[in-house]
Amino acid sequence: MRLFTRFLVVILLVSVTWICGLAVGAGTAAESAKPAFALPTENVTIEVWWHEYGPFTAYVKELIEAYKKLHPNVTINATIASSTDMNQKLTVALAAGTGPDIMDADASYYVAYYSKGVLEPANLDVFGVKSYQELAAHYVPGGLASGTFDGKIYTLPYQGNSMSLFINNKLFAAAGLDPKKDAPKTWKDLVALCPKIRKVEGKRTVQKAFEFPYHSPRWQLQDLQPLTEQFGGKILSDDGKTAYLNSPETLKALTLWRDVTRACGDPKNTKSTASNPNQDFVDSFTAMWITGPWATPQVQASPIKNDFTVVGLPQVDPSKPHTMVYGWAWGVNKNRPEKNKIVAWDFVRFMLSKPDEWLAKAGFVQPVKGVSETEVAKKFPFFNVHMKDVQTATWYIRSENVNEIAQTVGRAVDSVVYDDADPKTALDAAQAAAEKILKK
Amino acid sequence: MRLGASVSTKSRSLWKPFRLNIAAKQALFAYVILLPTLAIIFIFRFLPMLQAFYISLTEYDLIRPPRFIWFANFIDLVQDPLFLNSARVSITYVVFSCAPVWVLSLALAMLFDREIRAKNFFRSAAFMPVVMPAVVNAVVWTFMYHQDGVVNTILGWFGLDPIPWLRSSRWALWAVIVIGIWRATPYYMIIFLAGLQAIPQKYYEAAQIDGANRWGQFRHITLPLLKPTMLLVMVISVIVAMKVFAVPLIMTGGGPADSTRVLPLFIYQTAFEFFKMGRAAAMSVFLFAAVMIFTVFQIRLFSRGEDR
Repeated sequence: MRLFTRFLVVILLVSVTWICGLAVGAGTAAESAKPAFALPTENVTIEVWWHEYGPFTAYVKELIEAYKKLHPNVTINATIASSTDMNQKLTVALAAGTGPDIMDADASYYVAYYSKGVLEPANLDVFGVKSYQELAAHYVPGGLASGTFDGKIYTLPYQGNSMSLFINNKLFAAAGLDPKKDAPKTWKDLVALCPKIRKVEGKRTVQKAFEFPYHSPRWQLQDLQPLTEQFGGKILSDDGKTAYLNSPETLKALTLWRDVTRACGDPKNTKSTASNPNQDFVDSFTAMWITGPWATPQVQASPIKNDFTVVGLPQVDPSKPHTMVYGWAWGVNKNRPEKNKIVAWDFVRFMLSKPDEWLAKAGFVQPVKGVSETEVAKKFPFFNVHMKDVQTATWYIRSENVNEIAQTVGRAVDSVVYDDADPKTALDAAQAAAEKILKK
Repeated sequence: MRLGASVSTKSRSLWKPFRLNIAAKQALFAYVILLPTLAIIFIFRFLPMLQAFYISLTEYDLIRPPRFIWFANFIDLVQDPLFLNSARVSITYVVFSCAPVWVLSLALAMLFDREIRAKNFFRSAAFMPVVMPAVVNAVVWTFMYHQDGVVNTILGWFGLDPIPWLRSSRWALWAVIVIGIWRATPYYMIIFLAGLQAIPQKYYEAAQIDGANRWGQFRHITLPLLKPTMLLVMVISVIVAMKVFAVPLIMTGGGPADSTRVLPLFIYQTAFEFFKMGRAAAMSVFLFAAVMIFTVFQIRLFSRGEDR
């Protein structure tokens, strides 16, 4: 009888342990990974700032509510600013000591924040890993390159956008072309297609075949960088301290840019702006346009609907493909109380734990391994094309002076395209300006 | 009792030098009344200016502490082709937007000073661009300047080819100047109108009796008596034009190829996009000095005429 009682007690204990285990397991499923560290139990209020983009904002708000349900002692205050204002708002706030706990910035800006000492390295305990290498192993190769400084990971991207070629199927078909068979693989292919697609009436361009961006210097650099790299060159050295703006490779890239523009586009005629960069494409005014996967919902909402094709970025040499990736990432403010930083990193971990939801709800591709296998990715139009472009990409240049370098590049492109300046002369001037900027 | 009287006399004699006459009392009262306003102006206007001057002598990126570099920013700026280009763009903007504004606003004021039908309606309609926010102006004009916009459509009626107004380094600044003229003219028209209405009618009547024609009346009565108003309009319009910012920022961002990068826009970009606060502050000091010199020059020019 005593033995039977003991047996019952053991069974009971095992059952209780198992049930508790299930409960913990359910919690794990909700949070994706159980934190192997102690979260503060007292009330904590953290500030999160991010840039405005409708679907993104809605999803982050949803994540905040979900996290608050799991951690009732945590209050999360949100501040949303336009993408163009975010960098200056952040810098001014960080200077005044009123910066947020979690910041959202264009990945290329983080080098400046790092050098100014306002970034907290990723909390490895929160992510349940022992080293930064282990954390990086969850991402595609180079996926965390934009936020890694001196061997430590400081920022985690929630979007790593490839630059791929979007094609308007109707405009292609009207020109007697098949968007799948005839899609350009090289820049030469693209230029060859242009006379068939571009339409000019008198001196008015009524339809462009292809256009490079002219609404923002950052976008211009975004397109010139992969072109230069396709020719085997670089815009900046890896440490961001030396510019190669008048190298033979950059010269070839800018000359190609000019020739493509002359054959395919009309930069003096565009409705695209910094806030509506895809406007000419969604208006069916441009048949081909380079943009990222995030543009997909906007294109689908336009009269084009699903009648579009995405192919890889045209190459100089398709046997050595090269593209560019840019994106936005979360970072944590170093100058906040310890408990806030722990909660901040835990919330970042929580936010990033469902890459398929990011894709479905915001259209953002996290550069993590295994996204392609998710159901959402399989349904996302041309997801594999975007991921393939990400895999052959280098990140947008990293420099404390990224905006000034972009302005310098934009000035060179503008003078060549708008004023017919000699590309060599324009790039020599750009190089001189860049050297002066970097010297300071 | 005696002692008390003695103390009273002594204290009166002590206070005697501090006794104020009525004029001094009034002045003191005026200063006391003005003190809060002066304090606000000092704290929110004058101190930031001093601070800006101090920052102009430093290298400062907002987060790291400022590093004192004396006049290096100023020396660097005078050799910087981008700054010099921006200064050139600003001067072009000021010259070609202000001169037409002075003529047009005076002409409009004279028109609306006369007895015409529906005068109040036309005055209000003409004043609309001033009421409209600069951002709205910029967006509306961006559409109007597009290849298929209103401006090119009108040019098309006359057989002219469309002009890439905002996408050509040749035309963009002129496109921005036109908006500046359109927006500023009605504002200065109102100031001129007030000046015109302050001129006594009897002068014109006397001139008419003496046989003066309209041109003679304008030249010998209107213009001389409008001098203070003209000075005000010229000084304000130049200062406002020197500070133009929102329209080029929204419409062109300073491009193409820096053709519309006016100085205030370059200052803004240097400060809040490149985070070079010292350099931006040095540019602001240059801008302040330029506006100040021009204003003093204008005032001198007008007062010299009056001395004669």
